[in-house]
Amino acid sequence: MVAWTGFAIWTCARAERRTTLFFVVDLAWAAGTIAATSLVKGPDFNATIPGFWVMGALLAWAVHWHWKGGLAAAALLSATDLVFRDNIDQANYGNVFLLMIGGPIVGYMCESLQRMADERDAAERAAAAAEERTRLARAVHDGVLQVLALVQRRGAEAGSEHPHLMELGQLAGAQERALRSLIRQQGTFQPDQTDRDLAGLLEELSSSHRVRVEVATPGAPVTVSAHVASEVSAAVASCLDNVATHVGPDAKAWVLLESLPEKVVVSVRDEGPGIRDGRLATAAAEGRLGVSESICGRIADLGGTATLETSAHGTEWELVIPR
Amino acid sequence: MTESIRVMVVDDHPMWRDAVERDLSAAGFDVVAVAADGHQAVARFPAARPQVVVLDLQIPGPNGVEVTAQVLSYDPSARVLILSASGEQTDVLEAVKAGATGYLVKSASRDELVDAVRRVAAGDTVFTAGLAGLVLGEFRRMAEGPADDPRDELTDRETEILKMVAKGMGYRQIADRLVISHRTVQNHVQNTLRKLQMNNRVQLTRWAIEHGLDDDEA
Repeated sequence: MVAWTGFAIWTCARAERRTTLFFVVDLAWAAGTIAATSLVKGPDFNATIPGFWVMGALLAWAVHWHWKGGLAAAALLSATDLVFRDNIDQANYGNVFLLMIGGPIVGYMCESLQRMADERDAAERAAAAAEERTRLARAVHDGVLQVLALVQRRGAEAGSEHPHLMELGQLAGAQERALRSLIRQQGTFQPDQTDRDLAGLLEELSSSHRVRVEVATPGAPVTVSAHVASEVSAAVASCLDNVATHVGPDAKAWVLLESLPEKVVVSVRDEGPGIRDGRLATAAAEGRLGVSESICGRIADLGGTATLETSAHGTEWELVIPR
Repeated sequence: MTESIRVMVVDDHPMWRDAVERDLSAAGFDVVAVAADGHQAVARFPAARPQVVVLDLQIPGPNGVEVTAQVLSYDPSARVLILSASGEQTDVLEAVKAGATGYLVKSASRDELVDAVRRVAAGDTVFTAGLAGLVLGEFRRMAEGPADDPRDELTDRETEILKMVAKGMGYRQIADRLVISHRTVQNHVQNTLRKLQMNNRVQLTRWAIEHGLDDDEA
């Protein structure tokens, strides 16, 4: 038994030596020593030769084949033990019970541990890959942005003689804005969908809008509930649509998002001719509720206010939403 | 007048470096040095002594923020104009805290670039709407921080003007709207940057004291 223990420790130290054959022989040894007890000590023995030594083989099975291995080994050892006894007392039942319950539980715990380790490894690999991708993307994106900006610039300069170059430059400019906004949104991505980052959302909205929009944000995520985020961005989209309709396709607009402790303020400004006094009221009276409903209505539903300031210098909407 | 303005261009993309250098030379600036990375920029700055450094933030070696700090500690009278492609928000804010007084995205036109270099050289600050939004956000975050933090807050007027810049208004428009002079608007905007840099320095000092870096005898 001592020699076998030494051999078992040496065998288990290396993964490639932990073969099925070894575990079977190990368990057979354990069962064999129990069986040999009646020959050595006579049929009315009290304690088996190996005693608790059999736990070694049992735990090895449990670790290797998890709860099934633990259960099988426990069953075999218990059966061997009971078969070779001529009288079975309370203590024997107790030991058998411990074997039968201990084997599967240790096996099950090993399985869970192994699975957790695997999951952790997978998560670490995924995080490392994502980080590397982000790093590469930064380098690649930066290069692409540089080229797009250069094409845009050269296109504008050559525009007077070559209208098609001008068009190329404008396309490059649109793509440059879209990509830049995408990169900013990446930094503010939140997997939790019950809260949204309004800054990222407004960037996204503005880069896809036909009006050229410059967005100014506080530089950190502005977290609001998903409902507030979608309502506010819908209202801002209406403001921008209005700019496109009334100022024209070449219009430029600015969106400013401010985050204060008690409220969020979104301003949308253009430099168009302004909205004539009373035009919105007339439109509303005629049943065209477009602007009032989609901007004022939405913001009022959130408990906020939408104010319009318009003059010959342009139009500015200020949407104030309480937090 | 512009003949005398000495400019250094720092950009790791050769095509951009050449384009910016050509545009500035054509506009009458004296491009005294170019550099492709942070090491070159810091090494060539003392000899070339440019008045304005046109700096890309995403460069190898010490990045744009570090170059800004090093160049300005060597010659506080120099001006740094950030010319960035990606508009990485935190980097831009850090560069401004380090002392840059101008920021332009690379999609700006040649005229805008020339105008920006001229204004930065004259001591003006060149803001984009995006940068104004960032600075505004930074002051608000500071205001929410621990109350015992020694810091300069913006006055109501400064906040008002910064908001207008963030909404895309030019200094001239703001001056008209508030019925104040163009110069006054300019001063208010400069003050906001000065306070931001000052707060940055105060924070650095606090950090140094808290971490025991002021123990000279140790």
